[in-house]
Amino acid sequence: MASSVSHLDPMPKVSIRAADDTVAAQALGLAFGSAEQRDDTLVVRIRPDEWILLGTGALALAAELDLSGYASTVDITHARHVIRVTGTHAADTLAKLCSADFDEAMTPNGAAWGNSIAGVTCDIVRDDHGGERSYLLLFDGSFVAYFLGVLEDAAGEFSSDS
Amino acid sequence: MLLVPCPNCGPRNAADLSYNGESHARPDPTTCTPEDWRTYLYLRDNPSGWLRESWYCSSGCRKHFTIERHTLTGELRTPILPGSKPGATKGETK
Amino acid sequence: MSHRLPASEGEVLDRTKTLPFTWNGKKLEGFEGDTITSALMANGHHIISRSMKYHRRRGALTADYWDPNTTVQVGDEPNVRASHRKLEAGMQVSAQNVWPSLTFDIKAANRLVGRFLTAGFYYKTFMKPAALWPTYEHVLARFAPGGEVDLDTPHGRYDKRFAHPDVVVAGGGPAGLSAAIAAAEAGASVMLVEHEHRVGGHLLWGTEQDRARAAELAAAARTAGVEILTNATVTGRYEDNWVAISERSHPGVIERLIKARAKTLIVAAGTIERPYVFEGNDLPGVMTSGAVRRLITMYGVKPGTQAVVFSANESGDAAIDDLRRAGVSIARVVDALTGERIVSATGSKSRVKEVLLDDGAKITCDLLVTAVGWTTPTSLLNMAGDRPVYDANAARFFPAGAPDNVLATGGMIGDGALDDLLEHGRSTGELAAGRAAVVRHRLQAATARAEAVNGPEPAYPPDERVPLDRWPHPELFRAVTHGIVDYSEDVSSKDLYSAAAEGFDSVELIKRFTTATMGPSQGKLETVNTVAVLAQAKGDSIADVGTTVWRPPYAPISLGALAGRINEPTRRSVIQPWHEANGATPILAGQWVRPDHYGDPAAEVRNCRENVGIIDVTPLGKLDLQGPDVPKLLSLLYTNKWMQLPIGGVRYGIMCAEDGVVLDDGVTARLGEEHYLMTTTSSGAARIWSWIEMWLQTERPEWRVHVTPLTTGLTSINIAGPNARALLGRLTDIDLDNDAFPYMQVRQGTIAGVDGCIAWRIGFTGELSYEIHVPSGHGLAIWERLLADGDDLGVKPFGLEAQRIMRLEKGHFIVGQDTDGLSKAPVTGLDSLLRLDKDDWAGMPEVRWSLESRDHPVLVACQPDDGTVVPEEAAQILRSGTNEIVGRITSSRMSPTLERSICLAQVDRAFADAGTSLEILLVDGRRITATVNEHHAHFDPEGERLRG
Repeated sequence: MASSVSHLDPMPKVSIRAADDTVAAQALGLAFGSAEQRDDTLVVRIRPDEWILLGTGALALAAELDLSGYASTVDITHARHVIRVTGTHAADTLAKLCSADFDEAMTPNGAAWGNSIAGVTCDIVRDDHGGERSYLLLFDGSFVAYFLGVLEDAAGEFSSDS
Repeated sequence: MLLVPCPNCGPRNAADLSYNGESHARPDPTTCTPEDWRTYLYLRDNPSGWLRESWYCSSGCRKHFTIERHTLTGELRTPILPGSKPGATKGETK
Repeated sequence: MSHRLPASEGEVLDRTKTLPFTWNGKKLEGFEGDTITSALMANGHHIISRSMKYHRRRGALTADYWDPNTTVQVGDEPNVRASHRKLEAGMQVSAQNVWPSLTFDIKAANRLVGRFLTAGFYYKTFMKPAALWPTYEHVLARFAPGGEVDLDTPHGRYDKRFAHPDVVVAGGGPAGLSAAIAAAEAGASVMLVEHEHRVGGHLLWGTEQDRARAAELAAAARTAGVEILTNATVTGRYEDNWVAISERSHPGVIERLIKARAKTLIVAAGTIERPYVFEGNDLPGVMTSGAVRRLITMYGVKPGTQAVVFSANESGDAAIDDLRRAGVSIARVVDALTGERIVSATGSKSRVKEVLLDDGAKITCDLLVTAVGWTTPTSLLNMAGDRPVYDANAARFFPAGAPDNVLATGGMIGDGALDDLLEHGRSTGELAAGRAAVVRHRLQAATARAEAVNGPEPAYPPDERVPLDRWPHPELFRAVTHGIVDYSEDVSSKDLYSAAAEGFDSVELIKRFTTATMGPSQGKLETVNTVAVLAQAKGDSIADVGTTVWRPPYAPISLGALAGRINEPTRRSVIQPWHEANGATPILAGQWVRPDHYGDPAAEVRNCRENVGIIDVTPLGKLDLQGPDVPKLLSLLYTNKWMQLPIGGVRYGIMCAEDGVVLDDGVTARLGEEHYLMTTTSSGAARIWSWIEMWLQTERPEWRVHVTPLTTGLTSINIAGPNARALLGRLTDIDLDNDAFPYMQVRQGTIAGVDGCIAWRIGFTGELSYEIHVPSGHGLAIWERLLADGDDLGVKPFGLEAQRIMRLEKGHFIVGQDTDGLSKAPVTGLDSLLRLDKDDWAGMPEVRWSLESRDHPVLVACQPDDGTVVPEEAAQILRSGTNEIVGRITSSRMSPTLERSICLAQVDRAFADAGTSLEILLVDGRRITATVNEHHAHFDPEGERLRG
């Protein structure tokens, strides 16, 4: 499929807020705007002071963190949903709805950033699978019916050359 | 559309951010006169030239910052996060 | 196709594909590749429209995108540019602006009274009396130009896309192609935008050799990886090279708007051939040299049989060759370079018949070709800040300077042989790519997520291009006679002279007064002639008169393309599909699709009062607050006190903006030592989150509070009614005993086996009620359990409308309904919540001054004396027997509980005391009376039900 859209929930998710000087921030590491797969958890430093953990190990990894100092966690498993857009035309699909530059030079694999897509505020993670272009979109779950419809409509243009 | 240099995220479309207008210091609410307070609420310098104003990177890093904008040319310079000092930032590309 | 030439090498037609179409109902045929105009002319139809004001017969003038008088209706689509739109099989083409027919048009009588239709006629004549304007408007609408809009036309598919090219090239002629190729070969990503259906520009109607070069360039551009968009226009250039492109050639969509952030923009828009102003210059059969060359070479159309050619340049000379090749006899060449001039032309009913020269000769012809010079379409450069300057020697305007990231090339900036143009384009493309590389590098370096992939910044290339020559050209704008200057607006040079005589002596004023240059071609054909005629009228130079400011759009863009796909974000709770499957009528409240009611809101209210009801209140904004400084934050944002809220406590609060106006309200619970859950209004959730972040980041950066939105993470259900305790008790391990869990308290526990649920006792319905917040993955299951397990308790769902009624019965105000953008907090009447003994809170000074002056209106509950009448919301309250407005109804309903109408109202203080009689003006003009209540609550003012 040149551009496929799939809804991945329920997937465990945790938001961790931590100031630079905390043990938790040191343990999580990563540069702002990047993501890294650690075992069965994708760790995303989505804002200078916020990490999102995604995947089956997210809650366990969060529970292990030392939250001393100015740090906290919130289980956002149900608050936010995840859609994956994959395929050779994944970037073209998103570029119909989002002002971000999906070029390799600007948003390489592992890049993570916030952007509005079709009016829905998203955290976007470039998370290629097996060399195939792929994006994870995290968004407020109440938009899911609307958002799936919009993404599938946009991807439809590329379905013929699958 | 202006490209606004967020100190954290780099240049972003103005539509990705929220515009909060000219920066104004908040008077002490316990001692201020109505004139002080209403100046803070309503009066804007609106200069023809450089103006320091507030933006909120609402879809990106969710940080508030101030930046100088030239109201005639649209040039933007020296974005500053609250509490940090002006200096070399990532934002500027022009 | 009687006027069709034999097939020739340069044509763009596919003569194996015959396309049937109709013209005003008559069956005709054209070929694949034809425009509507070329197909009509091949069939001998030279009159394509009637002009706007005088309803004069008009035909093709330029035979390209800018042709002013070939606008037609195609099926249900009005205002189609026939000289640009490709013919399609089955098209139903008809003339617009004619009644009853193209050849016999009643409105052509306007011509006879033409002297009354001079510039400003409509402004002056229909000004007074103002009361007659609706009548004028109705009559004038019949005379307005334009096609017929069919309101039943289905919405077509339009789309949008964003792009981030290094270089956008506007214009696909030789210079633009050469620039695009050079930029792409230098490593830039390049988007080339051409408004015609194919690239090549003037080479396409040039020599055989020209066309071969065009094909080579197009192939080279494709090989270099240039993204070529044809039938597409750069419609605007905005700040920081934000470039709007309208594309009408993308498969599956009618029109697509591309929003491109170009690192460098190259403008290679070429030149546009100017028409000549003389008496009779709008007769069918009068055309520019480019028009006849395109018609003959590209479309195989014989534009006439006997031609007069008025030529001042090589384009006119080439047209003579083309005409001869097409078998058109040349009756006379009028050589402008030797000082020969045409004076006027006269016509038969259908087209030009005779041309008068300044030597007195009268030449019979059916085609008059003019080649009098060029206009530089500098629009995009103007939008980048360029102010073009007139060069009398070359008889045209030239760009004077744009920002570094906007470069011009080709005919816009000078003249040259093809190789000169190509070389200039090449060096421009290289320069653009070099500058784009620097911008790209800086963007990458400035963008956090791409830090690792950057090398050293390349040097910024200076502009070392060799400029193009400017060839001399005679200044030819108007003959000694007067003629049409703006064809689409029907403005003549005589109109401009009279306007100038009336004192409209600036080109910007003339434009607005006469509407010259304001038609669909947006001045491309008319501006320079307008300026030149005004200069003549005033006795000034063209340079002194200057030009008008060209603004977006460069070419029209459809509203459909601006709209794109209709993407209106909507939100739903996890229970919404259940609501809709169970008879709920959905309502859009903000972005949320919610159940308004399940058939009978009054019955839903009664069931809550008598048994128990449940409502899905998930859209309630919910913010998780963590950190040691949460109490300080709450104290700063709410008007009341928060420092002593114990764990397990819930409190209601009002938030104000800094001007003292009510911003939001809601309850906040303390869940743990440093853990709180705040609720906001449904519509205020996003705003309050930003509001909190603003205070934390800019005013109190030393405070430690983390804010996380959980609106969707928690499905919220309010259980309200005398049986609420019994119902919830069946599902939870939380002790619901009134002593263990009293009013305004919060508890955490298990509900229906789900851990991590929160319940608090609040009561906007006035009944015993629990609001539960459960992880939304389990929200639907718990909703269904409540209904199943509470069947014997009479549990029923209720919707937004029942909630509104019950809130009103209890007199609770709704932010934005009972308050507005002028309602400072004291308006609510909840003075006990406005704590002036705190150090600071948002909006406190204004609230303090408002409480001191007491000059604000007050919210009161009132009941119409005739309980069967429900005054409309926003109905005015008047001082009795007068028209003086002293307040308004803010909420009103028929109360199923009290079986009478009830209201909340904002009234001046003098009308706020209990027992005051209010006079309410209904929408139908009737006046009724109502009496102010003692309490806001119409029902159970002591609150015994909800505390029980």
